[in-house]
Amino acid sequence: MEGDIDVPSPDRSFRRRAAAVLALALIGSTLGACAGAGGPEQVRFLLSKPEAIPYFRELIAEYNDSQNEVEVVLDTASNLQAGFLRGNPPDLGLLNYNLEMARFMERGALSDLGDMPEADRILPEVQDLVDQYATYPGRTSVLPYSVMAASVIYNKEIFEANDLEVPTTADELVEVCEALTDAGVTPFYGTYKDPWTVAQGWFDYTVAGMVDVEAFYDQMRELGTEVGPDSEVSFQKTFAEPVTLMQQLSDACTNADAPSKGYGDGNLAFAQGEAAMYLQGPWAFGEIAKTSPDLELGTFPLPMTNNPDDLKVRVNIDLAAWIPEASDHKEAARQFLSYLFQQDVMDEYNAAQLGYGTTTEAAPVTDPRIVGMKEYYDDAKFYQGPSQEIPLTIPAANYMQGVVLGNDVETTLSIMDADWARLALRQ
Amino acid sequence: MSVQPALVVETVEATEVLEGYAPKPARSRFRVERFSWSGTIIIALCAITVLIPLYVTLTTAFKTQAQAVDGNAFSLPAPFSVDGFVEAWNLTNFPLAFTITTLVTAATVAGTILLASVASFAIARNWDHKLFRWSFYYLLMAMFIPFPVLALPQIQLTGLAGLDNPAGVTFLHIMFQMSFSVLLFTAFLRSIPLELEESARIDGASTWQAYWQLIFPLLAPMSATVGIFAFLASWNDFMMPSLIISDPGQQTLPVVQSIFQTQFSNNYNVSFASYLMAMAPAIVVYLFTQRWVMEGMTQGAVKG
Amino acid sequence: MATVLGDVDLDLTKPSETAHGAVPRTRTRVEGTYYLFLLPSLILFTLAITVPAVIGIFFSFTNSIGFGDWEFVGFINYIAAFSDPAIVQSYLFTFGFAAVTVIVVNVVAFLLAVGLTSRIRFKTGLRTIFVIPMVISGIVIAYVFNFLFSNSVPALGQALGIGWLSESILANPDLAWIAIVIVTAWQAVPGTLLIYIAGLLSIPGEVYEAADIDGAGKLAQLTRITLPLVAGYVVINVIIGFKGFLNAYDIIVGLTAGGPGTATRSIAMTIVTGFSSGDYAYQMANATIFFLITLAIALLQLALTRGRSVL
Repeated sequence: MEGDIDVPSPDRSFRRRAAAVLALALIGSTLGACAGAGGPEQVRFLLSKPEAIPYFRELIAEYNDSQNEVEVVLDTASNLQAGFLRGNPPDLGLLNYNLEMARFMERGALSDLGDMPEADRILPEVQDLVDQYATYPGRTSVLPYSVMAASVIYNKEIFEANDLEVPTTADELVEVCEALTDAGVTPFYGTYKDPWTVAQGWFDYTVAGMVDVEAFYDQMRELGTEVGPDSEVSFQKTFAEPVTLMQQLSDACTNADAPSKGYGDGNLAFAQGEAAMYLQGPWAFGEIAKTSPDLELGTFPLPMTNNPDDLKVRVNIDLAAWIPEASDHKEAARQFLSYLFQQDVMDEYNAAQLGYGTTTEAAPVTDPRIVGMKEYYDDAKFYQGPSQEIPLTIPAANYMQGVVLGNDVETTLSIMDADWARLALRQ
Repeated sequence: MSVQPALVVETVEATEVLEGYAPKPARSRFRVERFSWSGTIIIALCAITVLIPLYVTLTTAFKTQAQAVDGNAFSLPAPFSVDGFVEAWNLTNFPLAFTITTLVTAATVAGTILLASVASFAIARNWDHKLFRWSFYYLLMAMFIPFPVLALPQIQLTGLAGLDNPAGVTFLHIMFQMSFSVLLFTAFLRSIPLELEESARIDGASTWQAYWQLIFPLLAPMSATVGIFAFLASWNDFMMPSLIISDPGQQTLPVVQSIFQTQFSNNYNVSFASYLMAMAPAIVVYLFTQRWVMEGMTQGAVKG
Repeated sequence: MATVLGDVDLDLTKPSETAHGAVPRTRTRVEGTYYLFLLPSLILFTLAITVPAVIGIFFSFTNSIGFGDWEFVGFINYIAAFSDPAIVQSYLFTFGFAAVTVIVVNVVAFLLAVGLTSRIRFKTGLRTIFVIPMVISGIVIAYVFNFLFSNSVPALGQALGIGWLSESILANPDLAWIAIVIVTAWQAVPGTLLIYIAGLLSIPGEVYEAADIDGAGKLAQLTRITLPLVAGYVVINVIIGFKGFLNAYDIIVGLTAGGPGTATRSIAMTIVTGFSSGDYAYQMANATIFFLITLAIALLQLALTRGRSVL
């Protein structure tokens, strides 16, 4: 009945609702348009190296302030695989380049940067390092930014005190070792508790000192499932000698408590002068400096043969830039990439982090701690760590940890061969 | 309200006495409990094993960087320094990450309690119907699925559904807690007599009303327990947010703190400061609710 | 009070008897409200868990590396998994470790629960302290204990002149697992403890009072009264605990990284490492096998305890 129920007529209420919706839509689209048209384009920049984060934060702030078209957002913790899987990976990545990254590259997930002027500035030998893992035909998917060169860190003061010279042959190395032991000084500081230090230092330096790493892995990849005791190359055949020497060296020339010492302990102990030599990379210098900033340190490659020409330093592409195919902001990302690759920006970064430049006009390395490796780097006498070419699913670092703790070398290497063959079978 | 034989025995004695004799003086019923000191000491010693690691974390967080790496974990901070906290705060953008984590966790707790309690009620009250009985086993079985099996497909699906953000994480957290929560709720529900609901129904209440006004309040102790487990699972979770959330500006605290966990960084004072800042709210929440949980558990259990 | 006690059991197959023993009239029609209560959760759960699980299991029959192109390969991954010594070894280690840990955790938690519900001082404070480990994340615990085991414990061992304790047990392939058990137990006891306390508190005082009258000693009371009455809670803790320890990951990564060598490499470690380094499909097969085995064991545990879940 009229008057009883106070309900607006359907007609009126519909119109009211429609008006409201329309108004909202208008407001919404205006806001959206504002955001789209006026606002800067966002570029998500992935960088996870902790030591570099503060440095790049500043850089990003400067860049964002200097222009209005691109806004760079720093991402320090995204999971890459998740991002690629979902189709929304970061727009620009500056990360360690290794086997895991190569997997993405191999499948075409990274866009071609070969047309950028920065690509032409990269040293060809350094660009080759990228190709060692895998290639995607016709593309330059990755531009190296900073290379870390690693070899034996030695305490100059201890060497001087004991009248020792940097060894360049295996025999000289043994002599140095003996001299130090006689003098009551621990020659090498071992940190076996952390498997990666065994892989990076002990395994990589000893094996690459005797084996052509690139050629070996090329053949291993070809052989695939046929790797075994009878194949042309294999871990047990090719690595037997260096790994045995590694075991001997670790037995005779290191601190007795190495099995229970880790990376942090090693940095501390070495900084306190408890050993003469330390198989670590330049990233350790920062840590050592926290305790002893004035310690005089230098580096030299670990000699494994009696031919000084065989000396090489271990390198890894600590930071390399790439832009995924799936990114919607490739142009903006490229702009920022160019900014990062300005020579003075690169130089400043590498100087601060003790890295080696990857470009043809990179400023030469001068820090006394790493200058010892400069000649080897300049002559391209370097290698990428053999441990880095083994997929993580084969726990090579753990296996090597077992070896320095006393496991049988032959058994361990044959296990690695079996793992390799099995992996090849299912891939 | 714990089992206290001493007092109980007192009561019995008093009643026995009452049966045939003059009552004992009133003060005997208020005799102070005899505490077992040996038991206390043993337990206290065990408690030390809990406190030692906490102590190490605490002192390291307040040390300067130089002192933090000197290898002496048990030393007191000298000088006392909040550098670690400042740096952790900046490096992890603490306030934002903290807020997001809090929201996700709170929503997870609320969602879990709501969904699991009603589902358990439905299951417990319809046990003789196949759908409900099998649902119980179905939910339980999922407890045994290892997370890696689910991870990548979940990443894809949440991406497709627009859930690659904290909301998606909340949703997944709730779902992961369902199995265990339903288990707990159904076990607890068996101790709530049907008569209560039946008398409510006689008074004209629908099942819906009976549940919300009668049963749900009675579930409080178990809700608190379920809530605590859900809280902890969600607050400390690293894996899922790191995989599911796309936008780094929306990441949760554990993920943001993971930058301290790489092998190349030994900023112990900073990382421990960060861990403490994350731990503290969880401990505070726990301290507040544990009283409630304990009380609730005792009241809920010793009844009938 | 038998009926109150009878409700703490975990016999999942009993029809819902009420607290007073009456069997409810069998409803031939279920009220709509109950569907409203159950179905949303069921559907969401299926979307969130079952569907991904099925997809994940599907991928175990392919050679996918987690993204990009893949091909169907049938049972190859499963066959390979069974003949992979690394995988077999990880299963042996993990199961052994889980069995030991579940025993340690439950014994310790139970005794602590008894202690914390008896006549001691500072009860509330102590209870609070003991639950703290549960609140801290696994990685942090692992790091702190890593430090303690590598430095403080050997120092103590040297001071006391105990030979095998003077070197870090984390570096000893035969003893490293003990450290993992200790740390895992440290973190797992609080949760177990809470459940046991709830169980103990559900036992009315009258039972003990009757026992006291009958002259039963404390130990007899513990074994003949307390234990059987909390049996249902023991079952819950053992089943869930065992499954949890089988999934041990955080603590092992932080303590030993699977070392020394590969002595303490758990199943979860193998799966997660492979899954994030291109060995996705293979480890999915491993994970599926793991799921089935875990499930089978839980069902076995349930079946074995069905008769004993009530006093």
